[in-house]
Amino acid sequence: MAPSTALLRTAAVLLTATLGACAQAPTQPLSSSSPSSSSPPQPAAAPRQPIPGGPVAAGLRGPAPAGLYQALGEQEGIARLMDDLVERAVKDPRIGPIFQESFKQTKPQALKDSLTAQICVLAGGPCEYDGVDMQSAHMNMKIDKSHFNALVELLQDAMDARRIPFTQQNRLLALLAPMHRDIITVR
Amino acid sequence: MNALSLPPLVAALALSGVWALPRAAQAETGKLLLTGGVSTVSGPAGGGMVPWAVIGTQATEGEAGVTAHATRVGTLDYALKSYGATVGVHDRVEVSVARQDFDAGAAVALNAIAPFGVEPGARLKMDIVGVKVKLLGDAILEAHTLIPQVAVGVEHKRLHAGSLGNVLDFLGTDRSGTDLYVSASKLLLDKGLLLTGTLRYTRANQNGLLGFGAAGPGRDGYSLQPEISVAYLLRRDLAIGAEYRFKPDNLRALGEAAGLGNGLQEDDWKDVFIAWAPHKSLSLTLAYVDLGRIVPGITRNKRQTGWYVSAQAGF
Repeated sequence: MAPSTALLRTAAVLLTATLGACAQAPTQPLSSSSPSSSSPPQPAAAPRQPIPGGPVAAGLRGPAPAGLYQALGEQEGIARLMDDLVERAVKDPRIGPIFQESFKQTKPQALKDSLTAQICVLAGGPCEYDGVDMQSAHMNMKIDKSHFNALVELLQDAMDARRIPFTQQNRLLALLAPMHRDIITVR
Repeated sequence: MNALSLPPLVAALALSGVWALPRAAQAETGKLLLTGGVSTVSGPAGGGMVPWAVIGTQATEGEAGVTAHATRVGTLDYALKSYGATVGVHDRVEVSVARQDFDAGAAVALNAIAPFGVEPGARLKMDIVGVKVKLLGDAILEAHTLIPQVAVGVEHKRLHAGSLGNVLDFLGTDRSGTDLYVSASKLLLDKGLLLTGTLRYTRANQNGLLGFGAAGPGRDGYSLQPEISVAYLLRRDLAIGAEYRFKPDNLRALGEAAGLGNGLQEDDWKDVFIAWAPHKSLSLTLAYVDLGRIVPGITRNKRQTGWYVSAQAGF
């Protein structure tokens, strides 16, 4: 076997072993019915306390990717993006009914404003998010994975319409995708 | 049309998908584009030739989906056609069937070594039934961790040798075999990069087209073979990638002992691919493959390079 091939074989085994080892590491529970990973286990009877606003409620997990806020068009661009997203979602046959139902609690403009503040915070913008955390916000809705993915697609459509580059789209989606644990209520 | 020879199994698979449909009239396409991979040449979802840990079809949790594929690989001296169907249920279990039709016309040259009775235009056919089960993880949405999606799979292969039966008897290879594999896939979402490592436990020669195991002093037993697949998303509907698949080379020692030199050597498989999904229910894959030497003793020691074209439709 040529040395380069031996090296590649070693790399392949290491890659597979590393991926496998990562998978075995005891980490956050995979079940969506579990409490959010940051909170300690609670007695089953105690109702979960909503996180009232702030970066943690917005879903911030670390420093924002450099330049993402600018790539999204800053606060005004994000506001237009969320306006477009909610309009698309309301019309979508897959998830429109869920949004219509939610408007009994939250007016469309309030939802757009809240989403704008949330995305602004996640992207590193100078905003304050005062909505509740994602688990509290969705706990009374019936949302499955296909609904979640449908919203991802509509957000991609909205970002395409605003000519946000695909690579920047993926940086934003990487911040939002992990929220599936809190948003999806039907597994 | 050869595709008609599999209909009972395909129909059964399609029916099993229909039974699992929780919402009958609606297309089950809840996965994001291309995140179910494409049909590999052996059937399981993945890149062109390496299975991924993802479950095939566009169906996600709570859904079931069916895809069918047709693939052609043409190299310098050989050609392979593959067609089949895949069912994905609840993004958890994948069942695939594939029929491969290998144009081994070049093998007629073996009659010069011994009276094998290989007919001109000889063909090898192989049926492959695969089952893959996702064990844990979410390759796509868990963007905040490096934990991959992990799946285990089995591929049972049955070879129909045609006029090459005497050759396979000479090689001492079995006509059927079972590969086991474990696969780990992870999308680095912020980079648009999907990494897969698969470890295969196999005794197949050339993926089974030259049978399984070998007469001594060839290697008759199982060995572990790593496979790598890397895909980069250019757009939502467009991915490019590369794959490397290590192979056992069970027959080489047998060929040397029989005075054929490296005439039975088997090399690793490599490819670079581009996959395009113009629609959730259609994907097209084009690849340039290097299958290395395949029975180099009758093919002027040439590497078998060529093109791989595949279409997959979802239902």
